[in-house]
Amino acid sequence: MKKIPLFLSFLFLSSFSNAAKPTAKGAPNLPPLSGFTAADMPGDAGGTALLRWNSPGEAAEGALVEVHASSAAGAGWVKLAEFPAAAKLEKDMDLPFWAWRPSPGRHAAAVDTSSAFGRPAGEQELEFKLRLVKGSASVETEPARAVINGNWFNLSRLNNLILMLTIIIVFFWTVSHAKRKGLFIRRIAGLDAIDEAIGRATEMGRPIFYSTGIGPMSLVPTIASTSILGEVARKVAQYDTSLKVPHFDPIVMTVCKEVVKQSYLEMERPDSYRDDTNFFVSQDQFSYAASVDAMIHREKPAACFFIGHFMAESLLLAEVGATTGAIQIAGTEQESQLPFFFTSCDYTLIGEELYAAGAYLSKEPMLTSTLKVQDFGKAFVMLAVAAGAILIAAGAMFELDALSKVVTQLFKAY
Amino acid sequence: MILIKKHIPLFICFLVGVLTLGSYYVPNVHSENYLELMNKWENIVAGFAFLLGLMSLFTSHFHKISRKAPGWGYSLFVYVGFLLVVVPAVVSGGKPMIGPDMTSLGWIYRFVFTSLSGTMFAVLAFYIVSTAYRAFRIKSPQAFVLFAAAFIVILGRVPLGQMMWDGLLSWTGYQVTDVIEWLMSVPVVAGRRGIMIGIAIGGIVTALKIIFGIERQYMGKD
Repeated sequence: MKKIPLFLSFLFLSSFSNAAKPTAKGAPNLPPLSGFTAADMPGDAGGTALLRWNSPGEAAEGALVEVHASSAAGAGWVKLAEFPAAAKLEKDMDLPFWAWRPSPGRHAAAVDTSSAFGRPAGEQELEFKLRLVKGSASVETEPARAVINGNWFNLSRLNNLILMLTIIIVFFWTVSHAKRKGLFIRRIAGLDAIDEAIGRATEMGRPIFYSTGIGPMSLVPTIASTSILGEVARKVAQYDTSLKVPHFDPIVMTVCKEVVKQSYLEMERPDSYRDDTNFFVSQDQFSYAASVDAMIHREKPAACFFIGHFMAESLLLAEVGATTGAIQIAGTEQESQLPFFFTSCDYTLIGEELYAAGAYLSKEPMLTSTLKVQDFGKAFVMLAVAAGAILIAAGAMFELDALSKVVTQLFKAY
Repeated sequence: MILIKKHIPLFICFLVGVLTLGSYYVPNVHSENYLELMNKWENIVAGFAFLLGLMSLFTSHFHKISRKAPGWGYSLFVYVGFLLVVVPAVVSGGKPMIGPDMTSLGWIYRFVFTSLSGTMFAVLAFYIVSTAYRAFRIKSPQAFVLFAAAFIVILGRVPLGQMMWDGLLSWTGYQVTDVIEWLMSVPVVAGRRGIMIGIAIGGIVTALKIIFGIERQYMGKD
């Protein structure tokens, strides 16, 4: 009988030891996670660790992998992420082939540490461990240490950088070429019609409305629009016609005031310049549209220009302008608004014509030469689309997955 | 003078342009801080510029009223509307005035401003009809193609039209939804992407022209 309490004590102690270390080696069904390494995630702003480990195999089917991390100060372990054990293969990492070499049978995960440990400006030393969990059983790896910091170059954007540098080189080549001889530019009907529109307004004694849209000054179409406004204002000053420029953005208004004033000065008509040519209306899209619509309806302008960044108000403005019989010239980079301008306006600047307008109207050799860069760009895109389509089709036809992957990644934005 | 009016602004434009372009490739925290700083500056400048805008608004409407310009009565509403919004907001000090949790500003926004904006947006529906009428007048072979595509898509999107089309196409083994899907995902996407590529290239070149000081009409001429 004395053996029974001893046996019970042994059972109690053995169960206690299992409860104290449930994740250690007491999980016969789960294979251990081997080859675990932790490192800084390359090409990021910091706050992300790259963890890699060997595949636990089919024995871990249905199990979950938990990522735990601890700061070097030893503040305890924090669970950062959890995912199925079969997920996160190295080959599934969304990085291009020049920045990432996946190994077969290996897993990798980019784990965000900033939510738990913040993101200091300098280096950050953290310890990581993985825990494989299935039901009540679990195994965990030995901790691995990594120094995490922000990087100075995002290698996955190398394709983009090479393309950008090529464009810059071509850009400077064309600019230097332009100094020696001029370039042929095809006619753009919408821009040729500007003279007609201003002449009509002069004959009818009615004003010209010019809207730069609802984009801020930081948008390229708004800057392009100010260039066109400058050329329009020069002609308006020459013909001594009335120009009205209602604005959505006060910064754009301030810039346009300077542009218009300068145009009047260049045409030696400073006396004709009025400070209220450019005026602020509203920074709300539909309030702006309502106000400009009302002005167009009341004042019946002879010509309306809608050039810049437009959204839903494009149709509201252009349709009211069309009902007053004004000659209308529009241009926007928003391809969703182009159909409305096509149907409501007499002339529409499509796509890159908006950006070519400043050069086309000013006829400055330096500016016109840059149009050639646009043509080179389009030629490159056409070639790239054709070559890419042929190569991907060939990859699919001959089951060359690597070829398809290389072509896709070369033209992908990361 | 030319240093202040031309060279310094061009240098600032070049420096900020290159740094902003470079920050796309540099993922460092300094790069992020730089972009955040630029955003803060933009907000500060926008705040002061709004005051300029407000002054411009009041001045232009004041001139309209004083000159009794056509439609000057509407200009009065600018001042009336401004006072109706600002005075209760200032008087209440941001505390609820209508019910337990609605400020005067909130009430005006919800029951006046939102309704008026909704009205303007609703007007779009009528304008789309008149625009569509103008677009679908068959004056050329291109207009006929546009009309035919629109006729299939618009009619095929409503149940009655779908039934009609499916009845007509039954002998082909295709449904109108297949035709619409092809139209929307092949010719439409091809056209849109062509325009988008042109816009993207034009945007890049214009940005380079501005960064390198070749395009500088936005700052007045030399």
